[in-house]
Amino acid sequence: MGNFSSEVEKAFDNLSEIRRGKLDLRWMYANPSGWNSRARPRDERGLTLEDVNAVGTYGVVPERGGTHGSMAPRGCEVPPQTPSLGCYDLNDKSLVWADNVAKLYEEAVARQWSSARDVPWGELTPQPEDLERAMCQVCTNLSEVEFIAGDMPAKWLWHINHDFHEVKCFLATQIMDEARHLEVFRKRALANGGGLLAASPGSEELLRLIIEAPDYTVASALMHILGEGFVLTLFRNGEMFALTPVEKKIFRLCMQDEARHVAYGTMHLKYFLERHPEREGEIHEILRQGEEATFSLNLNRENAEARAILAGGGLDHIEEGIEKVRYLFMKQIQEYLHRLKVAGIDRSSRLAIPVELPL
Amino acid sequence: MADFPSVEFFETLRERMNANRERFRRIGTADVVLVVKIDFPDHVRCFEVVFDGYRCESARALPSLAAARPGAVIVEGPYAVWREMVENIQRNGQADLDHTLNTLSLMDTPLRISAANQLDTDLFYRYQQTLQEFFDGAGAIAAASVRGDGQAAAS
Repeated sequence: MGNFSSEVEKAFDNLSEIRRGKLDLRWMYANPSGWNSRARPRDERGLTLEDVNAVGTYGVVPERGGTHGSMAPRGCEVPPQTPSLGCYDLNDKSLVWADNVAKLYEEAVARQWSSARDVPWGELTPQPEDLERAMCQVCTNLSEVEFIAGDMPAKWLWHINHDFHEVKCFLATQIMDEARHLEVFRKRALANGGGLLAASPGSEELLRLIIEAPDYTVASALMHILGEGFVLTLFRNGEMFALTPVEKKIFRLCMQDEARHVAYGTMHLKYFLERHPEREGEIHEILRQGEEATFSLNLNRENAEARAILAGGGLDHIEEGIEKVRYLFMKQIQEYLHRLKVAGIDRSSRLAIPVELPL
Repeated sequence: MADFPSVEFFETLRERMNANRERFRRIGTADVVLVVKIDFPDHVRCFEVVFDGYRCESARALPSLAAARPGAVIVEGPYAVWREMVENIQRNGQADLDHTLNTLSLMDTPLRISAANQLDTDLFYRYQQTLQEFFDGAGAIAAASVRGDGQAAAS
């Protein structure tokens, strides 16, 4: 044997003892109250997190996550010498939880799709230049803003106590969803004779607000409810103004993903505010800032003009397009306010932006 | 023969979805109650379609909207629009760009989406591919079954 550290030598010693038949086997009888579990699939969707959570005490999600600070899975026996990783500081259930999160995770896994496989790329057809350019600009912007919803959960994921694994799993699916959105819009921009057009400096303000938000719930309210809520309507918009079956499918599939993220964010804010009503003012303030940034983003030249051209069916019909964009903006605001109402927060009289575009 | 609108029509779509098992498993689970409200000049007909996991669980006529299950998402509009949508699907095998559920409802006209709260409304967006492919199943129902008067036998 060469020179190894004492830690490696200890591992060799363990191996030698096992080979000599000197077994420990104490692990076999750890966690006796958690033994004899027989989780069963409820139906043909298979064995879900909710099914597993129905077994014994494994589904009991503590109000305060384990203080051991390790990655030990909820419900196992944690030996006293287990070291803390020192990174988990989101330890209160109320800071991350939503009652729909386990279901949303399973749904996200079941509804994954592939931009390479599930979009009928062969059905792209040449478009008039103004429409192709407008579509490419919309795709450029979406490719730019979509991954904030990957970066934001990634920033907070490793802070979340492992006892809330349902939340961590769901956020992991969201990161995957956003990766797909980033690349599918990039692919569309590059697939039909156009290309990426202009980045949007105005978008960066909203993205900065989200990424620099002081805590997870504030970031979630900004991103899941405000940002993704607005983008959800934008995706519906994209499905309607699709030039070919390709955009139709892309926007429809992205819409579905976005609706899951919005559902989590809304129910998380509800859960949070029911337990921390004193923090409502803080949420109002960040939403106020977010509304202003979102308004600028929506109406900056490269985004508003491109969407109006698509909505009208061409540069020559931009007036008609503006009218549709105006209606859709009103709808975005209404749906945003209604989601906040579900979460238990009323911003109807405190909205920092107009409910209708002054056109 | 399944006339539109009728319970038989929605039952046929249900059977098609459940028979097309692999396709809908690929799309993913959907848990939503959809109420199709069809407005005639002098009366209204409502049908409730229940999606559960990978399956369409049931389809039935409702005596009124009030009889719908809690949490239902209502898609409503004039009979002529519904008929045009179904005929379009039957002509093309699936809805064309102008006749998808989302396109017809986004501007709140000619179709309109509603629910008890916004999260329930959002289910319509969350399961859009499932719902669209469910209705696209009409492509396999004989075109002659869409009656001009909309007075298919009540069932």
